[in-house]
Amino acid sequence: MAILDRSASPEEINNVVEAWLDQHWDSEKRCAKGADSYDEKAWLTRVFEAGFCVPSWPTEWYGLGLSQKQSGIVEKAFAKRKAQGSARDRFHLGAITVFKVGSDELKRTMLSIMLTGPICCLLYSEPNAGSDLAGVRTKAVPDGDDYVITGQKIWTSNAQEAEYGMLLTRTDWDVPKHRGITFFLFPMKQDGVEVKPINQITGESEFNEVFITEARVPATYIIGSLNEGWTAFQTAIAYERLIMGQGITERRGKSKADSEPQLITLARKYEKYDDPVVRQKVAQALAYRELNGLNMQRAKQEIMTNGSSSLMSLGKLAMSRVQHGEAAIATDLLGNAALLDGDDYPDAANANFDAAKAYMNSIGGGTDQIQKNIIAERVLNLPKEPDLDRDVAFRDVKSS
Amino acid sequence: MSQISDEDRQALRDGFARYLEAEAGQEKLRAGFASDRGYDNSIWQQMAEMGLLGIAISEDFEGVGGGAIDVALVMEELGRKLLPVPFASTCVVAAEMIVRFGQDSIKEDLLQKIATGQLTVSISGTGDFVSLSDDNHSLSAELSGDSWVMNGQVSFVSHAGVADYHLLGLKEDGAHSAYLVKASDAVSAERLTTNDPAQRLFTLNFSDAAAIKLENMDAEGINQVRMRGIAAVAAEQAGATRAIFDITMDYLRTRYQFGRPIGSFQAIKHMAADLLVEVESATSAALAAAKALDSGSSSAEKFVSLAAFTCKDAFRTVSAQAIQMHGGIAYTEEHIAHLYWRRARAGLSLFGSSDEHREHYLKSREAA
Repeated sequence: MAILDRSASPEEINNVVEAWLDQHWDSEKRCAKGADSYDEKAWLTRVFEAGFCVPSWPTEWYGLGLSQKQSGIVEKAFAKRKAQGSARDRFHLGAITVFKVGSDELKRTMLSIMLTGPICCLLYSEPNAGSDLAGVRTKAVPDGDDYVITGQKIWTSNAQEAEYGMLLTRTDWDVPKHRGITFFLFPMKQDGVEVKPINQITGESEFNEVFITEARVPATYIIGSLNEGWTAFQTAIAYERLIMGQGITERRGKSKADSEPQLITLARKYEKYDDPVVRQKVAQALAYRELNGLNMQRAKQEIMTNGSSSLMSLGKLAMSRVQHGEAAIATDLLGNAALLDGDDYPDAANANFDAAKAYMNSIGGGTDQIQKNIIAERVLNLPKEPDLDRDVAFRDVKSS
Repeated sequence: MSQISDEDRQALRDGFARYLEAEAGQEKLRAGFASDRGYDNSIWQQMAEMGLLGIAISEDFEGVGGGAIDVALVMEELGRKLLPVPFASTCVVAAEMIVRFGQDSIKEDLLQKIATGQLTVSISGTGDFVSLSDDNHSLSAELSGDSWVMNGQVSFVSHAGVADYHLLGLKEDGAHSAYLVKASDAVSAERLTTNDPAQRLFTLNFSDAAAIKLENMDAEGINQVRMRGIAAVAAEQAGATRAIFDITMDYLRTRYQFGRPIGSFQAIKHMAADLLVEVESATSAALAAAKALDSGSSSAEKFVSLAAFTCKDAFRTVSAQAIQMHGGIAYTEEHIAHLYWRRARAGLSLFGSSDEHREHYLKSREAA
């Protein structure tokens, strides 16, 4: 365990992490010192034992008890050397959720396994439960010390690699929809779990369908409590939206603070940068991105002072305008060239990819329209719209 | 850099906000419309009492040595209440001009009086000093013996009717110059009819009016004053944007149609959520501009331009949608929404248009 605590200065933290990485990480071969190749489990275990996986968590839960800001210094030092495994307190949604709302028993048995393994997959959406996620129909039926699961999930990233998934199920059909849901940590590597990739409009296949037929999960793997899964789930989804508001779904290298924005470079290349109409559009697009950055900075400031910030919920919505807007401008700059695609036409391929990928932000993790409802109801305290299925037993709710 | 501590700043702001909440309601605002000044002078005097009028003036001249951030907080609160007081002209632009470029005698004569609420200054000018184009004036300053005299006409001068001094920025042979003219018989002010009843605009005529030239002008200093003026107005707009948004949200929670609050309809909720992004972006941009100015950051130009068009546009969008979301009630003169909307429209060209600032922002983002 590294010797660090909240009193450490940024330099001290950086020095300790750098020294540790010097000792353990081979930056050239991109694997542990002395190893022949990268072994994920072995490396993550080393990072985990040093406390660098989740530096902002308390020491009794595998962390170093550092502040978020200090934790960020650890993350940066790892990123500089392209070493994996740090910042799992920011990005490992499964571990974060178990840490925040799981029982001590679940935390003790599962956190070390989760933190040293692949990222969890998210078994939330179903073909008939998209925006209305509380309408899940995947069944969980008790059987001895286990539950038996049957149903279909969709839009699951990393389903092939994941050892565990966070699974939303229906455990009580005779109460209104939000009250009969149970949230499980679900073992993926078992009979009765079948994963099929989805071909997306971006040409990628990062998502899958997951067909579950009489698979099993121990009752002790419930996250939160039986039939109170919707509450536990809120923690997980809030973190996911927060991450998306930081533009995490974008193609890498789109906008670096220190270099000229890509839209400007593109406008110059296609000889439209002198057009005052183009200049206005480009300027406004860059401004939207910069303004979202400023809003998120204020949010972080507020979180440090007050513990929370309503500004955080705006990031994902604002990012949709940024991404769709920039892709549209890039397409217009290219003109006819945007009709082409493929490796021979990288500008077109990028613009076309970005235009499709923008939907990842405006639909994934909850559509913009759902996000607007959330902002209106939770931030602005506008009254909820009456739900037709509010006081109806779930088995009697109309469905398509 | 501000000499005021974070705690004092917060206390100052809270105290001012509380005072305005109690004393600067719609009734007083409208009563001010009928007066020569356009505002209730007791508010101005209270601002002097609280030390706000000297916020950008150093302690040597009875000011409090604040920075752009402090100006921004005062402007936000003024904006919330739409108070048409001559704070930006007198206490930001004129005070900064005198502090930077004035001879010692002018500083001693005027700064302390500005800080204590004894005089106000109107500002007008050309080119990049204020927004007025060369077409709007026929001013000329000439040396007569060893003193300057001002002749000619300038229009669109805010608060000039009751101002004790007029600060005139000229561009002569490509160089900036500035003159102070005391109100006298040699200066006549003709009030213009404005769309916003809160706004006081005048045409000023000078005939051999005695003028004092500010001697120590430099281009970088002028640019600093210009940016501080723009940042101040942006903060005012950010405050006003939030205020009309808050008023609208209150209405959405309390107005019932179809047996439910209209704020429960998604068509309305989605408008509200979109507008919140504009409201918060305006606040963030105004804050970023003030901070960049106070830290002497090389990004100050960029952030000031960003704040200029973001706050103008946000104020216009949010105040216009506020009328729409209120429905018929906001189509009446007695409702306050149209006053925000009028101010937003009037603010569109002060210190340059949104499009001009967007262009300027883009230039600042280009690789050097």
